[in-house]
Amino acid sequence: MLGYIFRRLLLLVPVFLAVSVVIFSIIHLIPGDPIDNLLKIGSGPEQREIITARYGLDKPLVVQYWIWLSGVLQGDLGTAIVARRPVADLIAQALPHSLTLGLCALAFSTTFGIVLGVIAALNRDKFADQAIMGGVLLGSTMPGFWLGLLLILVFSVWLGMFPVSGARTWSALVLPVVTVGLGGTALVARVTRVAMIEAAQRDFVMLLHAKGMRPLRINLRHVLRHALIPVVTILSLRIGWILGGAVTVEVVFARPGLGTLLIKSLNQHDYPVVQACLLILAMAVMLGTLIGDVIQAAMDPRIRAALG
Amino acid sequence: MNRSIRGCLLATGVSLAAMVSMAPSVFAQEAVIVLASNEVGQPMYNPIKGTLLNTANSMIYDRLVAQDAERGYHPHLAESWEEAEDGMAWTFKLKQGVTFHNGEPFNAQTIVDWIPLFEGSENAYLVAAIEKVEKLDEHTVRFVMKHPDPNMLYNLASAFMGVPEPKAFVALGDDFGVTEAVGTGPYRMESFDIGLETVLVRNEDYTWGTPLAENTGPAKFERLTFREIAEDSTAYLELRTGGVDVLLSVPSDFLPEVKQEDDLKLLTIQGRELTYMVMNVTKEPFTDINVRQAAALAINQQEILDNIYNGVGLAADTFLISALPEAKIADEHRISYDPDKANALLEEAGWKMGPDGVRMKDGKPLEVALWTQSDSTFRRLTEVVQAQLKAVGISGQISTFDSAMIRDQYKSGEQQMAVRSYIWDNADIVDWFFGADRLGYPNISMFVDPKAEELRAAAMTGSKSSAERVANFTAYHEYVLSQFPVSPIYQPVIGLGYNTTRVSLPDSINAPDINSTVLIDMAPAE
Repeated sequence: MLGYIFRRLLLLVPVFLAVSVVIFSIIHLIPGDPIDNLLKIGSGPEQREIITARYGLDKPLVVQYWIWLSGVLQGDLGTAIVARRPVADLIAQALPHSLTLGLCALAFSTTFGIVLGVIAALNRDKFADQAIMGGVLLGSTMPGFWLGLLLILVFSVWLGMFPVSGARTWSALVLPVVTVGLGGTALVARVTRVAMIEAAQRDFVMLLHAKGMRPLRINLRHVLRHALIPVVTILSLRIGWILGGAVTVEVVFARPGLGTLLIKSLNQHDYPVVQACLLILAMAVMLGTLIGDVIQAAMDPRIRAALG
Repeated sequence: MNRSIRGCLLATGVSLAAMVSMAPSVFAQEAVIVLASNEVGQPMYNPIKGTLLNTANSMIYDRLVAQDAERGYHPHLAESWEEAEDGMAWTFKLKQGVTFHNGEPFNAQTIVDWIPLFEGSENAYLVAAIEKVEKLDEHTVRFVMKHPDPNMLYNLASAFMGVPEPKAFVALGDDFGVTEAVGTGPYRMESFDIGLETVLVRNEDYTWGTPLAENTGPAKFERLTFREIAEDSTAYLELRTGGVDVLLSVPSDFLPEVKQEDDLKLLTIQGRELTYMVMNVTKEPFTDINVRQAAALAINQQEILDNIYNGVGLAADTFLISALPEAKIADEHRISYDPDKANALLEEAGWKMGPDGVRMKDGKPLEVALWTQSDSTFRRLTEVVQAQLKAVGISGQISTFDSAMIRDQYKSGEQQMAVRSYIWDNADIVDWFFGADRLGYPNISMFVDPKAEELRAAAMTGSKSSAERVANFTAYHEYVLSQFPVSPIYQPVIGLGYNTTRVSLPDSINAPDINSTVLIDMAPAE
C-alpha cells in the first residue's frame, strides 16, 4: 500500500508540471494587460515601459515561466502586480474562508445526500422516491449564482432567518453552504439510492430476511454498510472540489475566499495571483483524487489485492 | 426508521435556525457601510504605494487640500497656499495643533519627510514636478518645482496624497496600511480583512475637519464598518433587509427601488463618470467628418437619460464632466441631438436612404460595427444607441466583449465605433483619450490631428498657472469636439442610499465624491 501511495505521488510531479504550463500559457495568452490597470491617466508611454520592466513582463514568456516556476518550487508565489502585496499573503487570507465553506458544503451534501438516498431507496418508485430525486436534481441543476440569489430572497429578505451576506458569523455560512452543497447532495443521494437498491438484491440480504431479521435493521446495519463503499469513493473524489466548487457563490454571498480573489484578479489581469489561485485549485483536485484512490484501496480488499 | 430520520432532519433544521445572528449594526454608535463595487478588493490602506484606494482611506488620511462639488479648492491640512508667478514654487502654511493617530505631530517636517517617500512608487507622477521641499518654519513649507505644475492642487486633493505618518510608514514597511495605518483622519483603523471588511474607530482628538463639512470636530459615529460586496444585487438586498446602513454607490439598476422604499433615502451627487460613443476616424465611413458629425448628432441624450436611467443623472453634451471649468465651452461646440442636421449631413456626404431604412452609397450600405463591453448596463445602452443610429439610416452591428479584455481589442485598431465610459474629473482625460501617442488604447478613435497636438502640448506642458491651464484645456477640448471623434451621452450620478431609521445625512453634499467630507456629517438617526 505504501508503495502504491509513493508511486501515485511520483506521478503527480509530471502532472503538476503540465498543469503549471497550461495555467501559465492560458493566463498570458488571453487578451488583457495588467499594466493597463496600473497606469494612471496622464502617465506617458515611458511609464508603461518602466512598470513593464519592473514586473519582468518585458522578458520572453519562457523566461517568465521559469522565474515563476522556480519561485513556486521554493515556496515563493511572487508579488501581486496590481494588489502590490505578496501573493502568499493574499492566498493565506482567502483560503480559510474557502476551506470553511467547502468543508461545510461537503458535510452538508454527505449528510443530506445519504439520508435522502436511503429514504428514496426504501420508498423505491413511490411518491417519496420520485419527489426526493426530482427535488435534488432540480436543486443541483440550478446555477449556483442564481440559486444563491433565490435563497437570499426567500430566507433573508422574506423570512429574515439568515444574513444576506458576509463571513463574520456562522449564520452567514448557512445559505452559501446550502447553495454549494445542493449539487453534491444530488450526486450522493443518487449514488446512495442506486447502491442501496443493488445491495438489497444481494443473496445475503435475502438470507437475513429468511432468518426473520427486522427489515429496518437489515437496511441500516447491512444494506447501507455495503452501499456506502461507492458513496465514500464519490465523496473522496469530491474532496478536490472543496476549494474550486464555490467560485461564483463566494461572489454572491460576498465571502472573501479564493473564488472572489480569483475573479477580482482575473478582471485585473493580475497574473501572479491568478496563477497561484489556479495552481492551488488544481493541486487540490490532484490531491483529492489521490486521497480518494487511497481510501478506495483501503476500503476494498479486491483493489488492494490487485495493487499487490 | 421514519421517526429517526424525521428526528435527524428536525435536529438539523433547529441547529441551522439557531445559528441566526444579530444584525451587524445593532450598536447605535456603529454604522455599517458598503463600499462601491469598484472599490472591492483594495489590498492596503497605503496612499503612497496603493493603486486602488477606497472611501475608507479618506477617513484615515487627511489631505492638504480639499475639493468641493464644483471642483474648487479649499484648505484642509494646509491653511493657505501661494503659487509663485512663474509657477516655480508653491508655499503652504500648515494647520497647527494637528496630530497623527500615533501621537506624532503634523508639521513642516512631516511634509519634508513625506514627499520623497513617493520616489519609485506607481504614484510618483503626482509629485514628479517637485524638485525639493523646503521647511521655512515649523508650519510653513515651500515646494521648489522642476517645472510649473498647474495641476498641483488637483494632485494634492487626490486620495493618493492623503498624508501618512512618515516615521510609521518607514518603520512598518510593507505592513503599513495592512496591519496598521497611521494618518490624521477622523477615524483610525482597528482591523482590516481584505475583501471582507474594514473597521474604523473614531479619532476622539479630531478637531481639524474640512470647512466643507458641517462637522469639523470628532465624527458622530463611534465605529464605522466598511463592508466589501462585489455583487450589486447582494449589496442592495443587504440595505433593504437592514443588514447594512449605507450603500456608498447604489447600482443604477436599483436606484428606482431605493427611491420607492419608505425607510431608504437616496442622496445623489454628480459623479466622475461620463458615457460616450467614440468613432474610429481612420475607418470608413468615419474618415468623413460629415458622417462622424451625423452619427454624433443622431444620439438623443435626453431620451437615453429618461428611458434608461429614469431621469437620474445628466445628459452629456461635452466630453468632460460638467463640474469641470474646462467643460464650460461655447455652445456651438456642444454636441446635442439634431436628427434633421444628421440626415442632411449624410445626404451631403452621398449616403442616400435605402428602402430598408439603411443608407447606401456606391451600392454599399451604411453598416458599422458597434463595440461595447458585456456588462448589462452597457448592452442596454448600446442597443438604444443602435436604434437611434438606425433612425438616421446608420446600421450598427453590436459586438460585445468581456470588460477585462476589450482594451486589448481596441489596441488592434479594428474598431469602428464603440460605446464606453470613463471615470475621471480632470481635463487631462482629453489628452489621455485623444493624444496621438496612445493610438488604439486609450486613443480608441485613432485621432491624430496636428492642430489638436499643438493645443494638447499647450494644455499639458505649456501652462504656467491654473487659469492658463483651464483656458488651454478648454481650447483643446473645443477643438477635439469640433472634429467629432466622439459623441457624449450621459453623466451618471453617484447615488448614496441609506437607511433613515439608522443614520441621518445632510440633504446636500459639497464634495466631488463620497469621502470624509460627507461621512463625517453622518449621525445616528434620532
